[in-house]
Amino acid sequence: MPEGYDALVVGGGIAGMEASLTLGDAGFDVLLVEKEPSIGGHMIQLSKVFPTTDCAGCITTPKMAATGKHPKIKLLTYSEVEGIEKTGKKFRVRILKKPRYVDENACIGCGRCEQACPVLIPKEWEYGLIGRKAAYIPFEMATPKKALIDLDNCIMCGRCERACPKEAINFLQEPEEIEVEVKAVIIATGYNLFSPEKKKEYGYTGNLTVIHTSANPNIIHGMQMERLLAPSRPYHALVRPGDGKVPERVAWVLCTGSRDKSVGNPLCSRVCCMYSIKQALLYSSAVPFGEAAIYYMDIRAFGKGFEEFYNMVRELGVEFIKGKVAKIESRNGNPVIIAENTETGEIMEEEYDMVVLAIGLLSNPEAVKALGVELDQYGFVAQPQENSNPAVTDKEGIFVAGTATCPKDIPDTVAEASAAAAQCIAYLEEVGS
Amino acid sequence: MTERTKIGVYVCHCGGNISDYVDVEKVVDSVKDLPNVAVARHFVFMCSEAGQQLIKDDIKNLGLDGVVVASCSPHLHEKTFRDAAKAAGLNPYLLEHVCIREHSSWVHSDNREGATRKATWIVKTAIAKISLARELQPIRLDVEREAIVIGGGIAGLRCAIDLARAGSTVHLIESSPFLGGRVPQIYKLYPSGKSGCEIVEELIDEIKRYPNIKIYTNAEILSAGGAIGDFKVTVKVNPRYVGKVSDDVIAKCPVEVPDEFNYGLTKRKAIYKREHSYPDIPVIDMDACTKCGECNPDFDQQPQTIELKGSLIVLATGFKPYEPEEGEFGYKVHDGVITLPVFERLLALSDGKLEYNGKEVRDIAFIYCVGSRNEEHEYCSRYCCVATLNASLGALEKFDGLRAYHIYRDIRAYGKYETYYEEAGKKKMLFIKYDPEEPPVVEKSGNKLIVRVKDLLTAGEELEVPVDLVVLSVGMLPEMSEVFTMLRVPFSRDGFLQEVHPKLRPVETAIGGVLLAGACQGPKDTVEATASASAAVAKADTYLVKGYAELEPFIAEIDPEKCDGCEECVGECPTSAISIKDGKAVVNEALCKGCGACGGVCPTKAINLRGYYYDQLEKMIDSVGGD
Amino acid sequence: MTRKILIFAADMAYRALDQAGLLHVHYSPNTVIIRIPCASMLRPDLILHAFQSGFDAVFVASSGPDCPFMGQECVGKTAKRIEKAYELLDEHGIDRNRLVVAGVCSTCVETILGTVERLEEVVGE
Repeated sequence: MPEGYDALVVGGGIAGMEASLTLGDAGFDVLLVEKEPSIGGHMIQLSKVFPTTDCAGCITTPKMAATGKHPKIKLLTYSEVEGIEKTGKKFRVRILKKPRYVDENACIGCGRCEQACPVLIPKEWEYGLIGRKAAYIPFEMATPKKALIDLDNCIMCGRCERACPKEAINFLQEPEEIEVEVKAVIIATGYNLFSPEKKKEYGYTGNLTVIHTSANPNIIHGMQMERLLAPSRPYHALVRPGDGKVPERVAWVLCTGSRDKSVGNPLCSRVCCMYSIKQALLYSSAVPFGEAAIYYMDIRAFGKGFEEFYNMVRELGVEFIKGKVAKIESRNGNPVIIAENTETGEIMEEEYDMVVLAIGLLSNPEAVKALGVELDQYGFVAQPQENSNPAVTDKEGIFVAGTATCPKDIPDTVAEASAAAAQCIAYLEEVGS
Repeated sequence: MTERTKIGVYVCHCGGNISDYVDVEKVVDSVKDLPNVAVARHFVFMCSEAGQQLIKDDIKNLGLDGVVVASCSPHLHEKTFRDAAKAAGLNPYLLEHVCIREHSSWVHSDNREGATRKATWIVKTAIAKISLARELQPIRLDVEREAIVIGGGIAGLRCAIDLARAGSTVHLIESSPFLGGRVPQIYKLYPSGKSGCEIVEELIDEIKRYPNIKIYTNAEILSAGGAIGDFKVTVKVNPRYVGKVSDDVIAKCPVEVPDEFNYGLTKRKAIYKREHSYPDIPVIDMDACTKCGECNPDFDQQPQTIELKGSLIVLATGFKPYEPEEGEFGYKVHDGVITLPVFERLLALSDGKLEYNGKEVRDIAFIYCVGSRNEEHEYCSRYCCVATLNASLGALEKFDGLRAYHIYRDIRAYGKYETYYEEAGKKKMLFIKYDPEEPPVVEKSGNKLIVRVKDLLTAGEELEVPVDLVVLSVGMLPEMSEVFTMLRVPFSRDGFLQEVHPKLRPVETAIGGVLLAGACQGPKDTVEATASASAAVAKADTYLVKGYAELEPFIAEIDPEKCDGCEECVGECPTSAISIKDGKAVVNEALCKGCGACGGVCPTKAINLRGYYYDQLEKMIDSVGGD
Repeated sequence: MTRKILIFAADMAYRALDQAGLLHVHYSPNTVIIRIPCASMLRPDLILHAFQSGFDAVFVASSGPDCPFMGQECVGKTAKRIEKAYELLDEHGIDRNRLVVAGVCSTCVETILGTVERLEEVVGE
């Protein structure tokens, strides 16, 4: 008999954690499956969150800890749902646990393997702003705080194995097939970021080290800016990647990869206006004499307290320019924005020390493929009863929360995660045990 | 009492949120040698798993008898740390969480020395407090599966269904004679394209399936009070003055008055019902009724007063549309200036061609942000941009030859709703962006209304738009209810009800057991309102399904040795929790809410508030007073 | 010795102090915050004790009519305590202006800033 749970939650970002905690607190057994080596999702990477400017870590870290040690929640990280099949009232779920090449039970997260490893490659979690080793702990607050080995970049020198005090390194670890039986499922698979390379005229290449005309490292994207503004930021200072200079003039380009059919995404990403406004505020307090400008089409400050936040930032002197940016060029290593100011009709050419592309949120259809629910034309999970019951999918017993259905901000995501948990509880109580 | 002498002190960097402005090492140095302190440490994130482990290890290895954590506001993480202490075997109330972020580093970022000194003071008071702390036990309260939902609109309906499905008894209270709220008035809802009536009918069909949902319509709330596990709401159910009668009987009524459901666009009888709604029993509007007796009325029906109890209360009281001032964009001055909710009804009721007041409508101007984003109402009402785009698209689809002008500030068609904006563009509707400093002016000119506006999209060109109808896209205001005051629920600055924290506790209020659903918390569309309603149920389920709640032990405690039975405290208690037995005051633990007012008047100093003992407060003062 | 102002912060006022932090506004750091559920619990002798212990001013930040325990009633009850405290201050020759009470709702950041500023002026630099 496979292990049984009341509910499977797919995805360990803020939505998945919130749903799991609600279910667990109400007394249900939950299996939380996360494809990355740690739970936390995108939110743990953010700097501070609008409109309260709470630091993201201050909210996420304890949620991660609570999820990790909740007696009713079993955590499977670095694992993916491979298939799901409904038999009677239950779902039989196949899960693939990817090898960490580290014995999770033995590892104490001391980081000695990381120190010993001689390989250095860009750290995904910091969006390449700094490096990581091939043997590594994903990030400081990772839950579980366990190492893993990136075999693709490993040179098999064996130094980590010798450094480990717990003999936890195991290069022979195999992927593990796990089968479980659950009564209900919550999808909280989140979103993918738009790749700004696709917007060629904006000159982002992802190359953060070399300055030449076509690749300007001082054009970064919104998530990189989040990292630069986070309390745990990579360089412990707000500097631009190209040369370590403190950027004195920074511009944000809204709707990069959103509301833009030329890159295949006609939708609005809902959060970029507000995160850029917030970043401009954080930038202004980090660099008090800096100038901040935001190029926008419409400012969509629609949530509770958002308009007030926008007004406050505007009064602080952040410049708002209504205009679609046509092109970003480079001059002496500085990005130059060429845009049409929609309100004056003028063509503007402005040089900045750094440009932040406010990239949008896209669907993540790969992550839900195995679950067999209906998707909409954009690859988001479809909500057949969205006006009256947004948490249900086309499959009975499978619920959905957060950005799996559409880009959205954290308050809306948290509300939906609880809503999905409520639907799940009602369903579980009805189907009985 | 003997003092605690093995206190552990933990100062959090909060990643830099604190340590960038407060010298955390100096704080630790200033307290580590205090007589009651066994160990003092600082750490990058105390709330992280590693930070909590540090505390737990010290409790076990050093045998700590008290803990002080100095980090963010206790409203965020007091529970986190108390749970950690408990997990390590320490009574959770021997842990004091004090705030040196919101109360020091963030407000004194201009003064590192001052911020550090203040943080040290705050930590010292906490050490003083814990040195005299008593072990306390939370009050465990059995919670019956019974809840009260106030408001029968879409959020209230969603709540009632979800609570009932999870096995709870629900009392659903609606002030108007029929369930459904404002959603049925909407012609077509985005994103489903279904009519508001259709959506509400579906929900009402579901409601009817659950006998454990008790419905009270036409109900006024007379009183509401209590606490989690034990709320009481008294409702007065007003009579309908008629039983179930056929439509023919209703048709006999000779009286006709404007139908408020259609904002007066149509008339109704004095006896009326709502097809889409519940109950299927009409009601007689006694203000209009002539008592002719044609409808077999029962004028002897009396209001019924019913006392309801519930373990929790969900407020789903909704919103009301902003009512523009007379003359605001020509409202009530020029014929043909209406609000968006009226336009929705006009769309639903018109057939063949669109007419308003007998005049055919060809050109419509929609003016956005009426009653939002201004000095009086600073907030954005969130739903109106998409609702207006959607209504304009619905109009163009239903009626041939219409032309629409959107006079806006920012089109906030967020997320997938961008497609409505795009569609409006494809339908050749015109978009004109106005400056709030120079808002559009609506004038009458012959047969037409003229909207004069400077278009920011064409460098401030002055435009004159002749139209037949001006639709004001009005914002949302909170629908006020007496029950807010009765339950003492706090408001946000925007006038809506305030949640404890938008991300951590979005459906809870400062009043334990009172939850928020839908637009009473802030403007929402139906998708967001029903999601928040289910979210409130999720929170409720964590008590109702589990069957108990744990409450903080902070209630009054009386020292019978010192009490002389003077009764000062009895009159002072706001919840009548104190009585005199055998010449001594006694506290009813179920009723005491822990304000401490009794202690404030006790002449013999016999009363203390648990968790805030006066000897603790005195020592806290002394710990810093001499600095 | 640094001048010190003691703030007794009742439930809503404590939230307002949190709010001040979130807004990153500034006020004098010569302030010590003691959290209490409701200002009605303050015994007048405790307020006197604060002055005797070395504080230069005391700000009783009550929840005002937003008090979650008793609403409007809180205002009257707190006023009674403060009235008694003033009498005690008079008896001990302490300037009445050094004690201030104000109702502070959960978003009343301005009240906090204004009151602290006023008390700073009273106690001098």
